[in-house]
Amino acid sequence: MLQYLLKRLLLFVPMLFVISFIAFGLNQCTPGDPVEAALEGTGVMPSAYPREYKQKAAALELDKPSFYFSLTAVAYPDTLYKIIPQRHRETATALIAQFGNWPEISGYLQQIAVFKTKLDGLRRNPETKDQFNLAMYATERLPQTHQPASIQAGFDSIGLALALKPALQQKMSPEFETLKQAYRQISSRQTRGKLYIPTIHGYGFQNRYHNWLIGMLKGDFGTSLKDGRKVSSKIKEAVNWTLSLSITAILLAYLLSVPIGVYSAVYQGSKAERVVSIFLFGLDSMPNFWMASLLIIFFTTPEYGMDFFRVLGPASLPADAGFWERFFSAFTAMILPVFCLAYGALAYISRQVRASMITALKQDYIRTARAKGLTARQVVWKHAFRNALFPLITMFASVFPAALAGSVIIEHIFNIPGMGQLMIKSIQGDDWPVIYTVLMLASLLTMIGILVADLLYHVADPRVDLNNKNRK
Amino acid sequence: MNFFNRKKKQPGVEPQTLQVGRLRASPGWRRFSKNRAALWSLRMLYVLIFVAVFADFLANDKPIYCRIEGQTYFPIFKEYGIKLGLSQGDEAYFRREWQNEIYEAVIFPPVTYNAQQADTPNRYTSPFGKQAVRSWRFRHWMGTDGIGRDISALMVHGTRAAMLVSVISMGIATLIGLLLGSLAGFFGDERLRTSAPRLLLNLVALAAGFFYGFSVRAFAMTEGSLFTEVFKSLGILFACLLVANLIAGQIERRFKFSASVAIPADTLVNRAIETLSSIPTLLLLLSAAALIQKPSIIYIMAIIGLLRWTGIARYIRAELLKIRSLEYIEAARAMGLSEWRILFRHALPNGLAPVLVAIAFGMANTILIEASLSFLGIGLPPESASWGNVLQNARSSPQSWWIALFPGLGIFLTITIFNLIGEGVGESINKS
Repeated sequence: MLQYLLKRLLLFVPMLFVISFIAFGLNQCTPGDPVEAALEGTGVMPSAYPREYKQKAAALELDKPSFYFSLTAVAYPDTLYKIIPQRHRETATALIAQFGNWPEISGYLQQIAVFKTKLDGLRRNPETKDQFNLAMYATERLPQTHQPASIQAGFDSIGLALALKPALQQKMSPEFETLKQAYRQISSRQTRGKLYIPTIHGYGFQNRYHNWLIGMLKGDFGTSLKDGRKVSSKIKEAVNWTLSLSITAILLAYLLSVPIGVYSAVYQGSKAERVVSIFLFGLDSMPNFWMASLLIIFFTTPEYGMDFFRVLGPASLPADAGFWERFFSAFTAMILPVFCLAYGALAYISRQVRASMITALKQDYIRTARAKGLTARQVVWKHAFRNALFPLITMFASVFPAALAGSVIIEHIFNIPGMGQLMIKSIQGDDWPVIYTVLMLASLLTMIGILVADLLYHVADPRVDLNNKNRK
Repeated sequence: MNFFNRKKKQPGVEPQTLQVGRLRASPGWRRFSKNRAALWSLRMLYVLIFVAVFADFLANDKPIYCRIEGQTYFPIFKEYGIKLGLSQGDEAYFRREWQNEIYEAVIFPPVTYNAQQADTPNRYTSPFGKQAVRSWRFRHWMGTDGIGRDISALMVHGTRAAMLVSVISMGIATLIGLLLGSLAGFFGDERLRTSAPRLLLNLVALAAGFFYGFSVRAFAMTEGSLFTEVFKSLGILFACLLVANLIAGQIERRFKFSASVAIPADTLVNRAIETLSSIPTLLLLLSAAALIQKPSIIYIMAIIGLLRWTGIARYIRAELLKIRSLEYIEAARAMGLSEWRILFRHALPNGLAPVLVAIAFGMANTILIEASLSFLGIGLPPESASWGNVLQNARSSPQSWWIALFPGLGIFLTITIFNLIGEGVGESINKS
């Protein structure tokens, strides 16, 4: 058994690796600039923006390569990741994808920077203020676009600004000509062939994936992009809610479904049993978010005179609130969500218990027990139920992950600050450090749930060979 | 039903051939049709499919047929004609307010509104309350939502969205699941053998296909229409694999390589299934949906299809594990048929019946997932008619019970129908 446990735990490692690839890969494919998202609404002055951007990007390790190696075309330089901000990098990538000549493109981008610095030196001249602003605006836009039409439009407006003021024209004209020349060279010296020759760049261990993984292993999950809090503290708060929700729901479901399942098997075929069975089947197919919406409509609004629960989610209590006050606040907040999570599990488990009890009651030993003269209660609970226990245990492997998954939407609806709500909020805000961690943690919890069920399977019936079991 | 990962009872011991032509005469069908609930569910499914296909004729603001001032029109057909490029339409034709025309003769669809149309005077009107409509013919039978959209029209068009998503994503999932599951079940760890050069060339081709199909074309994919570009990329990938295998065939013949390397198909597929099913589905779907900038029904179908194949793979694997040691497979092998031919012509067709169970439950699941995603606001685009989208609106107006009741009922009934069909098929197979 210990050997089996170790083997299964070892198998966790490659699985978690794959999941980390999936999570990281999803992040890499997500469009949008995380630094801009993080700086949004922080009130950074426009003049300080480039510096702040650089610092933030460095803090988020965005100036590092993303993986140990990359498979790209020869046309792309291996230092492409060093270009920040992201918009400039995207422009460079798009230009390379069209023309394939990095030296010329890099020359063009550098020329823009040179032109901008020179132009910046003329900032103080009050006489040419308007024209300066126009030219500056166009210059700043240049590295953000790869479309020939908008680049040409940028050149046109710089040219116009320069032509209006001879003072500007005189100073900037040579640089402007070089800039235009640099751009023309990109299209005149295309090396598109380079786009089709693959190459592998190695980056070593100084990459984002490696650092993130090492951090994870050390228990450092990073900081949230949105509020700068530690991901671990955010998740610690959330996981309490989620676990207490789903574990209460599962316990409740198990407690109720055993008698329901057993009695509906014993009284199989009676009218009452039929009604119960149909009802359970209906419950099983009932989407929990629909049930939740209906409950909210009828039980939380005064519209129908049944507003037993006035607030959704835990009420914000003063800091000095006593234990019981806190307890009741959490308790009332959890009644409806626990019900929504429990009824589906209840229906599912009772149906399974019923099925396995029906099989057990047909066995020969039940007839023997009856013939011996045992009471009905003894036959049902001691002889049949013990043998029908089996699926109850294995079901845990599917019930637990399902409750975790189900709580995502239920938490969202009932405004419970658990993992599900955290996840939805993070996804809406592109807060990837949180998304990674929740995804990994939820997967780990699910794997542990499945493992526990497998072990219980063995404990309940030692005849089951763990290593050769064909899990269904 | 809030279980995404549930494993239903494993059906099927004996293989069952699914012959479509003689389906109704088969004993399996006879057993299935004795289950009244399942049979009626199947009939209800036909109704749902009918509603989905003819949604435009069941809920539309234009009449099906009408006569105005001696002129005869077929507005809905004309709309189809224009969409297909068969007919020409002018602006005035479309801007016409069909509901306020004076007709000599007219046949309206049962629901006289379409899913987008906002009947602004009637916001949040109850099905039983007073409605500002011209006559009973234009009543909102299931009420309206916050911008005056007719709930019954949304229900009809939502059926179309739900069926479309579930059919197409289950189609994708079935393809992947059948392929991987049958590889794992039929070949196991030992029997899928290939020669060293072929394996090597295939790996190289995979890398090359990825490079030329996706890396090189990354720019084209962002510029052009993603959907067609992805298809082109997949084409390039397959072309690379094809070329590699042709070359490998030549090398094998010239240099007499034997198939000596065993690919552990079963282990690989099982690990993939285990990994995929240990990530909570909704969380994975949510984070995959975060990639999408503009929600669209195509992405939702693709994401669900690519992630939900594990159930089908499990079923077909278990089935082929049994089938592969049956006598007729031995016989086919003795006759010298190739392994692939045996798999696709003899083993797989006989293992398909239990997959129907997985597909039926999968359909129920997909409808639930689509509704959940739309309910969370990351599924279908908010303006499109989907049961989940409508249900989401219910939260902003608790006094309008009808907005919550009807779409939820639609989801509930559809899921029940698929579950009953799945159970019926499962029972019919088990009894044989």
